[in-house]
Amino acid sequence: MVMSRRYLILTLLFLLVLGWFLLYFLQQRIEKTYRRTLRERLVEEMMYFPSGKFLRPVLIEYQDLGADLVWLRAIQYYGHHLMTDRKFEWLGHIFEILTQLDPRFIAAYHFGSIIMAWDARQPKEAIALLRKGARENPLHWQIPFDIGFIYYSRLDDYDAAGYYFLVASKLPNAWNVLERMSAFAYQRGGKTEVSRQIWIDIYNRTNNQAIKNLAERNLQLLQADEDIVFLQSLVNKYRATFKKKPTSLYDLVKAGYLKYLPKDPWGGQYVLRDSIVISPKANRLRSGKY
Amino acid sequence: MKILAIVENTFKEAIRDRILLVLLVIGFIAIGSAKIIKPLALGEEAKIIKDLGLATITLTAVLTTILIGGKLVYKEVEKRTIYIMLAKPVTRYQFIIGKYLGLVLVIFFTITIMTGGYYLMLSLTNTEATLSLLLPILMTFFEVLIIIALALFFSSIATPITASLITFVVYFISNFTRDLKALAQISPSVVVKALANFFYYLLPNLANFNIRNLVIHNAIINPATILLSILYALIYSALVLCFAALIFQRKDF
Repeated sequence: MVMSRRYLILTLLFLLVLGWFLLYFLQQRIEKTYRRTLRERLVEEMMYFPSGKFLRPVLIEYQDLGADLVWLRAIQYYGHHLMTDRKFEWLGHIFEILTQLDPRFIAAYHFGSIIMAWDARQPKEAIALLRKGARENPLHWQIPFDIGFIYYSRLDDYDAAGYYFLVASKLPNAWNVLERMSAFAYQRGGKTEVSRQIWIDIYNRTNNQAIKNLAERNLQLLQADEDIVFLQSLVNKYRATFKKKPTSLYDLVKAGYLKYLPKDPWGGQYVLRDSIVISPKANRLRSGKY
Repeated sequence: MKILAIVENTFKEAIRDRILLVLLVIGFIAIGSAKIIKPLALGEEAKIIKDLGLATITLTAVLTTILIGGKLVYKEVEKRTIYIMLAKPVTRYQFIIGKYLGLVLVIFFTITIMTGGYYLMLSLTNTEATLSLLLPILMTFFEVLIIIALALFFSSIATPITASLITFVVYFISNFTRDLKALAQISPSVVVKALANFFYYLLPNLANFNIRNLVIHNAIINPATILLSILYALIYSALVLCFAALIFQRKDF
């Protein structure tokens, strides 16, 4: 009797292990039948996410947790499209839900607006998200600062940028150079320097690796722009002096204007095309081709 | 003394209940999962770990209340132990109060253990573990005081499954009673206005006790809100208990 019971238990255990392995292989087979990978499908699901207005009451008192889960999905969505097609059509929808579930989630406004303005090339939508954030968090300097930065860098609206930098400077714990930035913006001057200062600050203050990468990319682009302006001035000087176009940038070295040719921030070469200095890598980055 | 005996008995019985053990294990797994989520959070680890822990504590306490509270009185009637109890010099309202306090003790025990696990997880993940995080946990305790009273009330008039279900529905609706208030304000109909207002004040306003978001974002919390909400919880629970005792008093066994 005892033996038969023992056999029964052993048989059941064996069947359980066998059954589990069967499920494991079945699941793998099911995965293979899908056209897309699990990650792609998870990202696709974002478009079916209901609006925050609906989710808020459904999640009752667990809205913060819901916002955290949407945050994790938003990161996946951004990372996936950054590495593949660079189309971010649902980004606004995702951050709308996220900030509806947790209207005090400042990092969501900051990250969402930065990637919307730069990667998704939707600066106006980014500003709309930030304006919503400003209504919910009127004392947070980061939000008007981000609005000002987008006006400044993406929309070239210096008056609006100056206004928002000034508003941010009056709020508690604001970055102490904001008033100076506001003055710069109103004077429409020092764009590269102000942008560089802002990106360096963003790079140093954030723990968000995606924002760090974006800041680094923009700092490199600014460096390339500065180099191009400098090299272009030498090309113009060469043309004025020798009354002919330089055939390549090496002509500037031969003429003694430069000791050596500077490399672009990615280690590549600057190129001369029809007397215009360009950085092929910077152009690729700007057009969204990584 | 009589009440204390019932409290002790209820506490021991609930502690032995497997539901509590299962919920505690699930709760600890949820809090522990914060360590896995950490690398995915992209700079927002602290917020997510704190949110997850606080929400788990609340959910565990609420589910424990609903599942154990729902069968608290009915079980005594079904097992006929109520006859033995009432044959002794114990009044029916003492029985109800004893049951209530027993479950309060269970929830206090559950929340304390979960809070310990939560702070342990915060230190393991190097997340700032401030004392202010205890405030939302305290508010959860007072929120659950109301749910215990409701569960006990429904348990004295319905079967365990029905009582748990009704308690859950009331808990769900009570989390957005503010929408009822908004409805009363915008509705042109006098009847809808009156009904919405009636239910707004009848149902417990559980949103009063959810201050987790404010604490996590270091927002300003008015101490008066906290104190008045605690008072609200005590009065509401007392009223529901009185009502439960009244029904229980008139019940024929």
